[in-house]
Amino acid sequence: MIATEKDLKTHTMMLDGEAVSFTEGETIYEVAQRVKTDIPTLCYDQRLEAFGGCRLCVVEVEGQRLPVASCTTKATPGMVVRTSTATLEKHRKTLLEMVASENREIDVDPLRGYAAQELATLVDRYDARGGRFRGKRSGATREDDDNPFILRDYDLCISCYRCVRVCAEQEGDHAISVMNRGFETQITVEFEGLLKDSACTFCGQCVQTCPTGALADKKALRFAELPGAIEKTRTICAYCGVGCSVDVLTKGDTMVGIQPAMDGPANHGALCVKGQFAYDFVQHPDRLKTPLVRGDDGKLHEADWDTALDRAAEGLRRVVDQHGRHAVYAVASGRAPSEAAYAVQKLMRAGWGTNHIDNCSRA
Amino acid sequence: MTSPTDQELIERWRHEPAPLLPLLHAFHDRDGYLSDEALRAVARGLKIPLAELFGDVTFYHHFERDPSRTNAPRVCTGPVCRYQGGPEILAALEKDGATPMPCAGRCDDPVPVLRGGHALAGTAADSLRAHLSPLPPPNPGSHEECVFSAIREPGRARLDGYRRTGGYEALTKAVTELQPADLIHLVTENGLAGRGGAGFPTGTKWQAVADAAAHPKTVVCNADEGEPGCFKDRAILCHDPHAVLEGMTLAAYATGATRGFVYLRYEYPEAFRVLQHAIHEAEQAGLLGGSILGTDFAFHVHLRRGAGAYICGEEGSLLNSLEGKHPFPRNRPPFPVTHGYENLPTVVNNVETLAAAVQLIRRGGKWYRNLGMNGHAGTKVISLSGDIRRPGNYEVPIGLPLKTLLYEWAGGPFEGREIQAVTMAGLSGGFLAADDLEVTLDEPGIRAKGSFLGAGGIMVFDSTRDMIAVAHEAMSFFAHESCGKCFPCRIGTQRLTERLAGEAGPTELSAWIDEVSDLGETMKAVSACGLGLAAPLITESLLKYFPERVAQHVQA
Amino acid sequence: MSNPLADMEKPDVIFAIGTNMTECHPVAATRLKRALKRGAKMIVADPRRIGLADLADLYLPIRVGSDVALLLAMAHVIQREGLVDPEFLADRTKESETFLEHVKQFPPEWAEQITGVPAKDIETAALWYGRADKGAIYYTLGITEHICGVDNVQSLGNLALMTGHVGREGTGINPMRGQNNIQGAGDSGALPNNYAGFQPVTDPENQKKFERLYGRKTDLEKGPTKVTALEMAGDQIRAMIIDGENTVVSDPDRHHCERALKALDHLIVIDLFMTETAQLADVVLPAAAWGETDGVQTNTERRVQRIRRAVDPPGLAKPDWWIICEIAKRLGFQGFDYPSAREVFNELCSVSPIYFGLDWDRIDRGEYQWPVPEQGHPGTPRLHEREFVSGRGLFRVIEYRDPAETISDDFPVWLTTGRRLASYHTRTQTGRSAGIDYLLPEETLEVHPDDVAAWGLSDGGWAEMSSPRGCVTIKVRATRRSPRGTVFASFAFNDTPVNVLTGGGYDPVTHTAELKVCPVRVVPA
Repeated sequence: MIATEKDLKTHTMMLDGEAVSFTEGETIYEVAQRVKTDIPTLCYDQRLEAFGGCRLCVVEVEGQRLPVASCTTKATPGMVVRTSTATLEKHRKTLLEMVASENREIDVDPLRGYAAQELATLVDRYDARGGRFRGKRSGATREDDDNPFILRDYDLCISCYRCVRVCAEQEGDHAISVMNRGFETQITVEFEGLLKDSACTFCGQCVQTCPTGALADKKALRFAELPGAIEKTRTICAYCGVGCSVDVLTKGDTMVGIQPAMDGPANHGALCVKGQFAYDFVQHPDRLKTPLVRGDDGKLHEADWDTALDRAAEGLRRVVDQHGRHAVYAVASGRAPSEAAYAVQKLMRAGWGTNHIDNCSRA
Repeated sequence: MTSPTDQELIERWRHEPAPLLPLLHAFHDRDGYLSDEALRAVARGLKIPLAELFGDVTFYHHFERDPSRTNAPRVCTGPVCRYQGGPEILAALEKDGATPMPCAGRCDDPVPVLRGGHALAGTAADSLRAHLSPLPPPNPGSHEECVFSAIREPGRARLDGYRRTGGYEALTKAVTELQPADLIHLVTENGLAGRGGAGFPTGTKWQAVADAAAHPKTVVCNADEGEPGCFKDRAILCHDPHAVLEGMTLAAYATGATRGFVYLRYEYPEAFRVLQHAIHEAEQAGLLGGSILGTDFAFHVHLRRGAGAYICGEEGSLLNSLEGKHPFPRNRPPFPVTHGYENLPTVVNNVETLAAAVQLIRRGGKWYRNLGMNGHAGTKVISLSGDIRRPGNYEVPIGLPLKTLLYEWAGGPFEGREIQAVTMAGLSGGFLAADDLEVTLDEPGIRAKGSFLGAGGIMVFDSTRDMIAVAHEAMSFFAHESCGKCFPCRIGTQRLTERLAGEAGPTELSAWIDEVSDLGETMKAVSACGLGLAAPLITESLLKYFPERVAQHVQA
Repeated sequence: MSNPLADMEKPDVIFAIGTNMTECHPVAATRLKRALKRGAKMIVADPRRIGLADLADLYLPIRVGSDVALLLAMAHVIQREGLVDPEFLADRTKESETFLEHVKQFPPEWAEQITGVPAKDIETAALWYGRADKGAIYYTLGITEHICGVDNVQSLGNLALMTGHVGREGTGINPMRGQNNIQGAGDSGALPNNYAGFQPVTDPENQKKFERLYGRKTDLEKGPTKVTALEMAGDQIRAMIIDGENTVVSDPDRHHCERALKALDHLIVIDLFMTETAQLADVVLPAAAWGETDGVQTNTERRVQRIRRAVDPPGLAKPDWWIICEIAKRLGFQGFDYPSAREVFNELCSVSPIYFGLDWDRIDRGEYQWPVPEQGHPGTPRLHEREFVSGRGLFRVIEYRDPAETISDDFPVWLTTGRRLASYHTRTQTGRSAGIDYLLPEETLEVHPDDVAAWGLSDGGWAEMSSPRGCVTIKVRATRRSPRGTVFASFAFNDTPVNVLTGGGYDPVTHTAELKVCPVRVVPA
């Protein structure tokens, strides 16, 4: 062991009969995650402080009378933990049946959000019976909220508070809160208003952490009926210089949405309204689709690449012939990839031997 | 006199510790409700996000947001009052916008009605009047008492009366003669255990806070007596307030705490005024404040009122509430002894525990330990109410047979009736009935029957009561008070309430029992705090003692 | 940024000046919010009471363009109170004596006269920053878009040097880059003074190196900046290639800019849309957009990251690099035959000392922050840890200067410009994304409510705003975010072309325009 790790003592505990080492401060859930022992949860988001609300992640700890929530319980040396006894599995199934009983049943479209299918997946896995524990339903959908980004379908809400917590802890906006208590609990914003009248910045983090699709990406849902599987392509946001990692969602050749990359090195899953929702300029009808060349009539006309490129090169050659190589100047883009900037500067330097190149950072 | 401006109210409170609740109360007292503008001003003044403040305010039952409902009365319809005229008073006051409230802790003197910051009581709408809650009846068993040993002395609620009857002797002795460690030793040796319900050894708790490194440390007196059928703290606070303050000060001396809070339930406005006066007296007399009894020991006590939320009696919720956060229970560990108020070491003791601590420090040695029966240490105050001839607070030796209390001390049931069932721990221990009434009042004895003594509230239901209705009322209380943080409690209390109401659930008996038992088992095993763990004891004990009644109910 | 984004959660004292981070770099701002939750103190200096100011422990409402005065006075207090880090000065800097002597002339009371910030608040800010264990500075265009932009940056540098708040976790001088790849564009050599990797063109060794690489000798003289080039347009400069910039709307003094571009013999614009600039071109070439092309971009913390193609470009649109290489090839230039973006990037790495340890495959997961001088190097999240690029940190003696134009009887109001959360630059992208209009349907002029009344305007009514260069009509919004006497608008909306008014001056070194200060007249329309 090297000396620099002096602050982080490692210990051993027993997890389902296996000796597992852990670092001081790790919770049982974190240890289990690390060694690929799957423990179900609904209120857990690794970026947020553990909450301990859903109780699905309970485990048995030898010497404790009752199961403990593994997400909020720190591992201790010598601890003996069992993660999936018959009793625990029965409690989990009952909990899932309880949760299922408070919502209308729907097929949750994965376009609703990054985590939207978590509940549905667990209900399937535990074969939780939907018809048990029938009774009143919780949560009132806000059909009156006309914002174009975030669907507030609280009929599907299970009060896990991930939206409340992500808004406070991850985004620091504190726009979302919870009103009332018990079964009457309702996710809300100040004075039960619309999102646009609240402190909401439409970053979409609440949508992406919601495990039931109760908060959903309205823009993406426009493509719910579009046939085809959803593909994800990892890339970096097109806007400011922070460089947030995102997944572009596509169906065929249609961009249908954006989801934050939870492991993005610059953003750890955070995004803002532009990165989350302002992507569809890419497929806007205004896009230039063909080269254009100014004709003798003074107007721009569509052209094929050869014509346009010839014309572009010809114009440059003529200027250089008449006025010298210092008569050409190029401005590289701060939006295009580095290959474009490199190519432009190389054109000026390798082509004409000038430093007549700049980028758009001065505006 | 003009009423204070928003800014004046904010300035009055914003530099005080735990300012949110008193500031909200100040706006509420001024306007009779909390307007949007008031919330905006508070959010700005205390730098609390508006959405969170809005959510927090909706959590508390007594914060009115509707300007048309200022000073609307609230009428207790708790498990006792609902059979003592509560519903009738509610109906009579409907014209004034009256709404029901859960048990307001006056079961020995029903029916409490809150109106404009005052607590009235009476059994009919036209006989409501403001008066202090009753003193404990004289101890019928002639057993030596601890917390009630001097409470009936005239003038005990005032400093001079308190001092005349041995008050502040313990503090004087502690500060002048004892080291903090001696104090902790005394408390430990006497076997004092927390009397709020959990029964944790008080000495161990004090020791842990004394050992904790971080400062400043805090003593919180948990006076949020919200358990239905419990009204012992009210008696102590109203009639012996200095005992509580002295107990807090002793705890502070023992642990090195410099600040203290009394977190008092909203439904006890008269206790608020008594305490306010007592704190003032103690400060004037140098018994609280910057230089206690002329020494360099400093301890400041701040009085804070809740706003109607049972869960705030849970210590994590209480601390969150004090800090102005959403009053959800906290995950444990860490415990308040290291991560309490503002995440710093904190003693949280119940009113009765603190009052008892004073006596046993004053008496010293193993005096307290010997007060119990059959090898049990000490006493416990039982709040006895319901269908019983002489309801009231009785300080019993631990180990006293339940039937002795019911039949000999309190006179038994009314003429021509029989005791059908009693609740334990207020409502949290569920019911005891039939042969299980042959039990002694101590934790091991009661736990053997599947219940627990808890805070010591016992409500009696005689043979005229429908136990399904009683159980339904009890479960709706838990559903109403469930904070909503954990799934099993939030959903489970609702589903059990619906099933007891006959609104939902299977109509076939075995399926009904199957659902109710599954809900209960999971709630009892995995709920995040005592509320969810305890609530299913209601259905569990109902099924145990009254299976025929359950069968009738399901088939009906 | 000298320090990584992760460091934004670590300072004890944050000094944010000229950065509207919650709107312009919202995700970076979340990290500052976490630092605040942890107990850090924040000082915010800005003419407007921006969102960040609401979160601040100390807000300094400085008059536009008075940053140097504020920073000199802070240096004065730090010097006077003995908060200078003598070891750091001795080991890591030079010319501190002159500087420390210089700042003695500038007490907070002097700065109060210029900045309008109470002297005691300047004092407090200096004490907090000076006493911090970890003090970090964050700034954006509010510092650079002035005629004294370089002075502003160097004044911040002086503060960091004198306190040793640099080269350690949670410290540093951290400019936030505004565009997704503006850092990468500079890294790649798209600068008139540097080859790729910031190798100066004026160094004959570099000239030789690139002659070997490119097969042609490049001038030893720096080229003109874009601003200068636009001034030379139609005269010495006769042809321009503009890749992905809506120069007409984003640059100051729009009328001048349009005249310049029209004066060219030949203008090639590569873009996604028919922008106001493309409309002036002789040849418009359709580029593949973000999401349609593979490539690399570098973020504000120098993190080199892959972007990937998710869909095909529309119609005939092609990646920018391909278009440029095709033009080069048609001009008969060698070395433009790249099969894909990968080869372009790998060549960039091979010629750049800061990317030398990288290649296309190695950056797949984005874990490297340059400089990465050789293969196997872990990257450099934090700059200046042991020494500065230039060896020792140099103190600069700086004097306060007024903005190029100051308010007068004719133009009695300060206009300052900036950006808003929901729109990006000239809205070529955000304006074409569904729903954004719901949040931000039009541009407004932010005016203090008392000024709205005093100038006869009405909230929601129209105003005519003019400067010596032009006039725009704009809707008025009353808000206390603007101080009295100062108004704010963004330049995002083409139908409210605020940059018609701006452009009174440029920083003499960087040629960055003074977009943050423009005296105007505001009257009811």
